[in-house]
Amino acid sequence: MIQRFQAFHPAVCFFYYAGSVTVLMLLQHPVALLAALLLIVVINAVHDRCKGLRQWLVMIIVTGFFLLILNPLFNERGQHVLFVLFDHRITLEAVIKGGMSALTIIAVFAVFVSYNEVMTPNKLLYLFAKFFPQFAVLLMLTLRFIPLMKRRLADISAVQQSKGVYVSGGNWRERAKNGLLYVQVLLTYSLEEAIQTADSMKAREYGSSTRSTYEHFRMKGIDIIAFLLLGFFLAVSIAGRMQGHLYLTVYPVMDSLTLTGTETVYLTAFLIYLSFPLLAEGGGMIRWRLLK
Amino acid sequence: MALIEINDVTFTYPQSSVPALEQLSLRVEKGQFVVLFGPSGCGKSTLLRILKNEISPHGQLSGEVLFNGRSAGAATDFSREIGFVFQDPENQVVADEVLHELVFGLENIGLSTNDMRNRVAEIVDFMGAEPLLHRKTHDLSGGQKQQLNLASVLLMQPGVLLLDEPTAQLDPVSAREFLDMLVRLNEEFGMTIIMAEHRLDEVMAVADRVVMMGNGRVLLEGAPSNVIRQMRTAGERSYIPAIPSFYLQITNASQEIDIPLTVKTGRNWLQAAGMTITNMPESVAVKAKSQAKEIIKGKNLFFQYDTKERAVLKELDFSLSQGELYALLGGNGSGKSTLLQLVCGLQKAQRGKMSLHGKPLKSWKRQELAKTIGYLPQNPKLFFLHDTVEKELMHAVGQWQAIGRSEAESLLEALGIGDLRQKHPYDLSGGELQKAALACLLARKPEILVLDEPTKGLDPVSKGQLAEMLADLQQRGMTVMMASHDVEFVAKHATKCGMMFAGKITAEAVPAAFFSGNFFYTTMIQRLFRGTADNILTTEEAVRRCGVISE
Repeated sequence: MIQRFQAFHPAVCFFYYAGSVTVLMLLQHPVALLAALLLIVVINAVHDRCKGLRQWLVMIIVTGFFLLILNPLFNERGQHVLFVLFDHRITLEAVIKGGMSALTIIAVFAVFVSYNEVMTPNKLLYLFAKFFPQFAVLLMLTLRFIPLMKRRLADISAVQQSKGVYVSGGNWRERAKNGLLYVQVLLTYSLEEAIQTADSMKAREYGSSTRSTYEHFRMKGIDIIAFLLLGFFLAVSIAGRMQGHLYLTVYPVMDSLTLTGTETVYLTAFLIYLSFPLLAEGGGMIRWRLLK
Repeated sequence: MALIEINDVTFTYPQSSVPALEQLSLRVEKGQFVVLFGPSGCGKSTLLRILKNEISPHGQLSGEVLFNGRSAGAATDFSREIGFVFQDPENQVVADEVLHELVFGLENIGLSTNDMRNRVAEIVDFMGAEPLLHRKTHDLSGGQKQQLNLASVLLMQPGVLLLDEPTAQLDPVSAREFLDMLVRLNEEFGMTIIMAEHRLDEVMAVADRVVMMGNGRVLLEGAPSNVIRQMRTAGERSYIPAIPSFYLQITNASQEIDIPLTVKTGRNWLQAAGMTITNMPESVAVKAKSQAKEIIKGKNLFFQYDTKERAVLKELDFSLSQGELYALLGGNGSGKSTLLQLVCGLQKAQRGKMSLHGKPLKSWKRQELAKTIGYLPQNPKLFFLHDTVEKELMHAVGQWQAIGRSEAESLLEALGIGDLRQKHPYDLSGGELQKAALACLLARKPEILVLDEPTKGLDPVSKGQLAEMLADLQQRGMTVMMASHDVEFVAKHATKCGMMFAGKITAEAVPAAFFSGNFFYTTMIQRLFRGTADNILTTEEAVRRCGVISE
């Protein structure tokens, strides 16, 4: 668990993820991308032993694989021909290009998996509520309604089955018809009941004045420090990229894959930025040990 | 000056010829606990809604409503002083998490976070709800949800609390807890409470004033004991709670001032009066012993919804005999509804055997099963697929070919809902809806009726009609199984009772034996006679065995 990181103000977490995704999209260097991906996997591992990542594994691999394969198949440009397949030149340049987009996609995916775990609907709601109060109410209602509808549909199917109307048997036409009937009952019933919800909202002064929001999270000193640190490293990484570093020129002539001295510095800055959750957790552990 | 003054209010809903409220006048003083009661559709809800500006219904309103002597229109800020709690615990909830729900109203009035924190801390402490704060709202029980709704309203610090049958959907234990909370608010904070309610047994003892309504008018009003006395003379007996009803039936003296309303005062009175109780031969027990054919038999049943969750039913043995009216009692979540669904074949037990007419339930075809067993769910709204009662019924007639059209028509008449056939099911009241669903069930001519909490939210009159109907069906050989929280109803009408606990039926007996052993799950009258004559359950029986005292 990366509890320390989760305990930060949602704005900090959101900033971290937004920054990570931005830089990952900007980077165009296999070494840098590979290093970043490794780090993200480690973060996922520390967080939930890659449970979340494993759920998406097939999807991630398939997407990455396609990107890796498709680019060399459609793109013949490049000077280093690896081999020829059915009169089609497979070039090193194309493979590297494809590999980089694959790595980017995989890394961004992995970041989102972690984001999903850390940014609970609750935190998201809080962040949005400040700027779009109406949207926040909508989001809240939706969050409640989806599981509610699910349960109602289960109830409807039990009751209707007792009447001999079911979707788990009979020919497909009958099934489809009954399924639609279920949905019809679900919708009419839900709309009918929603009137009461609306009344209850009105009875609690909904829409009578501008909404404020209950702030579940307080910005603490440590959050501001985290903001400053993250901001600094992010700025350095982006500045480096703006100057043309950490970008592998492939066409017309491919650069060397090894990083130059300045590039190493910028990459280190980005890696420090990325490993922020780990550093926070590690720092917390050390402090805990010392206190004990 | 009264806090709320309603003068000559007449209210008519659009497209309705009969007014919902007719020349109604009522005064409510500050700090009073007022209970409104009367048959469903008598205008209780309309009256409550008219008092709260934001949700007052559309229609023609004449007469005046005054708050602190000012008219409702001018006193819009007064509306903020009024909190409203509705009947259905589920539908009032807006948010998916308890804390969000609590602060919803506060956010709407634009309170700052700091103020919100203070108020939330206070109310959560007061209600002891801290462990629930970060739970999902749909994980809460009905009782907890209703407490949450109350808390969310209380956070807005209202001076007046309006409640529209807040406990109708709750089990007796949760209902009692909810009521206790209201009593506390009334006594400790002087909050004015106006509540519409059907279950009067407990409310009568705590209310300052009760108001009986009928056809949009106030029929009777005053202190509880006065109103009870007037109800007797007016012949509205079905609303009189058990203990006062018993008292009134055996004492002729109409000048008595303090009618006993609670078990405690009732017992004191019994002792003072030196009541003699005649012993009766135990004919009831003998009658039930007669051997009847077993129709449904369940053995060693085990059921769980999810392998991760705890088992709902385990090692449950159960049987249902021909002609029985079997009532299942038990707390919330004890598995009553699950067992009913198992009996209907809607859920399948993971272990154990369930058989109908000696043939395993699994090998029954679904259509045959649906024809043999009629299932009335807790929420009859989910039952209807068509947009009028008649279409639904005629569809059932066509589907099962068990009875003819004319027979179906007479079924509607017999149930007293002949004039409702063109209505949309959702426009019916709780009692009417149930009858309509029952009519559709009976159109199948099932052998067994399975009812899940049929008395939930019904007024005493509808309850009486339901009882008559069940007795009639039973006479004609129907077997009925029901789950219920309504102890009084079960004690009067069931032939056999079972207690669900920890996934099993732990006790099973005829009502007299069943209830005399219970402490909580028993009737008011049984509590009154505990220790003197344990097997008296109902008012009728008590009256028979005590004779009339004339002082």
